[in-house]
Amino acid sequence: MSDSASASAASPAAPLLEVRSATRRFAGLVAVDDVSFSLAPNEILGLIGPNGAGKTTLVSLVSGTLAPTSGEIVFEGRRIEGLPAFRRAHLGIGRTFQIMRPFPGLSVLDNVAVGALFGRGGGTRTGLAQAREEARACLDQVGMGAQAGQRADQLGGPGRKRLELAKALAMQPKLLLCDEVMAGLTHVEVDEVVDVIRQVRARGIAVLVIEHVIHAIKSLSDRLLVLHHGEKIADGPTDEVLRSDAVIEAYLGKRRA
Amino acid sequence: MSAPPAQRADAPQTPDKPQAPDKPPTWRRVAAIVVFAALAAVPWLGSDVLVQFGINALLLAVLAQAWNVIGGYAGYASFGNSVFYGLGAYGVGIAMVQWHLPFAVGLALGAAIAVVFALTLGWAVLRLRGHYFAIATLGVAQVMAAIVSNVELAGRNVGLVLPPLNDDRLFYWLALALLAAATLSVAWLTRSRFGFGLIAIRENEEGAAVMGVHTTLYKALAFAIAAFFSALAGGIHAYWITFLDPESAFDISLNVRMIIMAVFGGPGTVLGPIVGALSLSAISELLSSEVTNIAGLFFGVVVVAAVVLMPRGLADAVRGVRLHGWGYFARNVKAHRL
Repeated sequence: MSDSASASAASPAAPLLEVRSATRRFAGLVAVDDVSFSLAPNEILGLIGPNGAGKTTLVSLVSGTLAPTSGEIVFEGRRIEGLPAFRRAHLGIGRTFQIMRPFPGLSVLDNVAVGALFGRGGGTRTGLAQAREEARACLDQVGMGAQAGQRADQLGGPGRKRLELAKALAMQPKLLLCDEVMAGLTHVEVDEVVDVIRQVRARGIAVLVIEHVIHAIKSLSDRLLVLHHGEKIADGPTDEVLRSDAVIEAYLGKRRA
Repeated sequence: MSAPPAQRADAPQTPDKPQAPDKPPTWRRVAAIVVFAALAAVPWLGSDVLVQFGINALLLAVLAQAWNVIGGYAGYASFGNSVFYGLGAYGVGIAMVQWHLPFAVGLALGAAIAVVFALTLGWAVLRLRGHYFAIATLGVAQVMAAIVSNVELAGRNVGLVLPPLNDDRLFYWLALALLAAATLSVAWLTRSRFGFGLIAIRENEEGAAVMGVHTTLYKALAFAIAAFFSALAGGIHAYWITFLDPESAFDISLNVRMIIMAVFGGPGTVLGPIVGALSLSAISELLSSEVTNIAGLFFGVVVVAAVVLMPRGLADAVRGVRLHGWGYFARNVKAHRL
């Protein structure tokens, strides 16, 4: 106990996640090109960039769905780029998918219970009843308590987005990777999800958010990372990054003189 | 049916109903015990023909139930289960004929070989999905028959003749006990973390992995469980008919039958495969005694009708009819545009 206390005191800003020169090639395409960044515990990092910039690929490299062609990924001081996805889940990395991956034939509640049964540490709950209890709490948190008994494939798009979030939350992650959980939601729904992510951070969880909804990302992110053609073109405080020429250029094209 | 805790309401794939607590209702347990007792009493009450029919039907039900673990729960349509059956049969055959060991040792030997084979094979082919997995396992069955035909110890392609034991009652009870054990295992599966992991794999493998399910290990274990029960069924069958050769031991059509039976009854449910196996065995038996020549044709019609009217099996049909009335069947026909 004194050990961990002194360790955290010695390096208060030790990053939770550090990505070093990560590169991922698909045949001829370099989807992620030599990208490095770090994420502190308790930080919300926004990840933006035009379509095809490599955002989802980068998240997949961290979650273990894809292996990097080269580079290192360090989580809590430990290299994880060689670990399969389920081991990373046990370490405390939870993600949502942009193209949702629900368990269609299961109830919404059981979809989320999978996270409680298998997530961080190999699952915080071993009994089905307990896992469902925990799943219910996660569903309530994202405002889906009423749909717990429905089959997941009966949900509409917005419901599935929230389900993805609840599934990841039930894993009790230390790092939550959100891949466009707000796309296609109404204004009100976006604000609700923003609230949820704030609550998540308040519990000490670091969050990486990919998002196109710019007002959401602005109000959420402590820091912003911008990808363009697989390369990192900006990394810094949100307002600063959004004002930078490189970012405006990437989104809108070159400013005429 | 040796129906153990049949907690349909608790099985994860029945979200229509409110989530029941983990314990199945008492009346189901009572019903299960009554049915089991009735089946166990058959050798005292029924004719020899019925007992012989029973042995076959019960062993097929074991095979369907074993297939249910890998095919119904994990969602991997295996055509390799008849290999496990064959290995179990040869385990008994070789142990008893070549080494003069007792039947029980042969059973254990066959089951052990099948489990080791399933784990080895599984590690390689369970990376394949969908059709590719089916084709790969299909190939294994062919190869295995060819290999065994050339092994002196296994009697090459002539086969082995086992010492006869004319005690159908014993075989019947063995088959029934095995079915009970397989079904209890599946019932445990539906309430366990392991079974939940298998279902998650079936529903979305990548999603399961990202949520922490060790997919490779889970699939291999499911394959091994299927192999274990299939091999025991093969061993009992071999000793009962006292003869085996590569062709009958590694018969692909047996694998097709177990799939049809499991799917007919309801894959991914505790009782579906048993109901499917027993009812289809009975239908097939009736047809072949009533209309001998074209029995196969009628059997085909029954299967096609079942697939069209209740594509998710009998178990789902029973629930569907309770929920939507007879319109359930019309719904299925419409849903699949047939």
